[in-house]
Amino acid sequence: MSPAPYRVHRLIQDLNRDPRLVDTFMRDPEAVFQVYGITENERQLLRDGAPRALMTLGVHPNLQMKFLRIRASGGGGPSPLESYLRDLEQG
Amino acid sequence: MGAITGAFAMSHVVFEPEKCPDKAARVWAGMREIARRIQALDPDLLVIATNDHLNNFTLALQAPFIVGVADEYTPLGDMGIPKVPFPGSRAFADAFVRFAAAAGFDVARAEEIAPDHGFAFPNLVVNPGGRIPVLPFYINVANDIPPTPARVWALGGVLRDFIARERAAAERVVVLGAGGLSHWLCEPEQGRVNEVFDRMVIDKIVSGRGRELASLTSEDIRRDAGRSGLEVMHWIFAAATVPHARGEEIFYESMPEWITGMGGLALTP
Repeated sequence: MSPAPYRVHRLIQDLNRDPRLVDTFMRDPEAVFQVYGITENERQLLRDGAPRALMTLGVHPNLQMKFLRIRASGGGGPSPLESYLRDLEQG
Repeated sequence: MGAITGAFAMSHVVFEPEKCPDKAARVWAGMREIARRIQALDPDLLVIATNDHLNNFTLALQAPFIVGVADEYTPLGDMGIPKVPFPGSRAFADAFVRFAAAAGFDVARAEEIAPDHGFAFPNLVVNPGGRIPVLPFYINVANDIPPTPARVWALGGVLRDFIARERAAAERVVVLGAGGLSHWLCEPEQGRVNEVFDRMVIDKIVSGRGRELASLTSEDIRRDAGRSGLEVMHWIFAAATVPHARGEEIFYESMPEWITGMGGLALTP
């Protein structure tokens, strides 16, 4: 599987770092796609957003995780570490 | 001369225990046991070899080896990890980078790192309250072209030599390789765990044959442990700092429920 073009990875990396870009993306993804030069084929796969579509596009696994999380919750969500962090707090 | 008084390796994250409570409990107990052993050694410095998950070091600039040289670090806070600062060691880090350069390794220096779970979670587990200063040592296995196991092994030896030759006699250092084991995160094989590979890695390291892992290629590891399984490089690094040491497996669980093999070991220098 070929890696996705860097423009796709750059978009997701920026989404991961910029909450304002996430807000814009959630409101108007097409405008953000345009800024990053995302092609129509790439847009279709990103609009789909399913793991299989992201793999087909060749998105880096770490960036797939970030894109899935951003799409699902705008970047937030519960922590899978919750019970362990409580345990550590208790010593 | 300083001394490496302990070397350990373990996975660098856990997940919700509900899907597999018994396995999760054994994994967590194993991690807490490694924490207990590290704290009992009372080191002056803790080296944690791990990887960033494209949070600090993105695909924009892909350096193979990066050392944190800051006086203090604040976690990124991913996965809900508290953003509580903990101390680094600029003097140790800078001296190591200079030593490594003379030994043929041009290691990148990083002033600004907000460690993600790859560093922050194991540090939180084994170094509660951040009492032990740390050296964040990043092996950039997220790169499209990662460093080879042979280079990772050699650089572990450079750290060993640096501590032995350059550090004060009373300085005690513990090394923890954090990550792995096999997992195919966001790949078509996601959910697969290669217990045979994972146990091979553990067995070679605890029997003092970690050097044999240096003959693997990155492609070998990707094939047998998944792209994310390249985190086993951190275990190879830790083993290389105490190359003839033997040790013991602390825990291993094949956990398709968490889409990964989870393990931990301790080496006695």
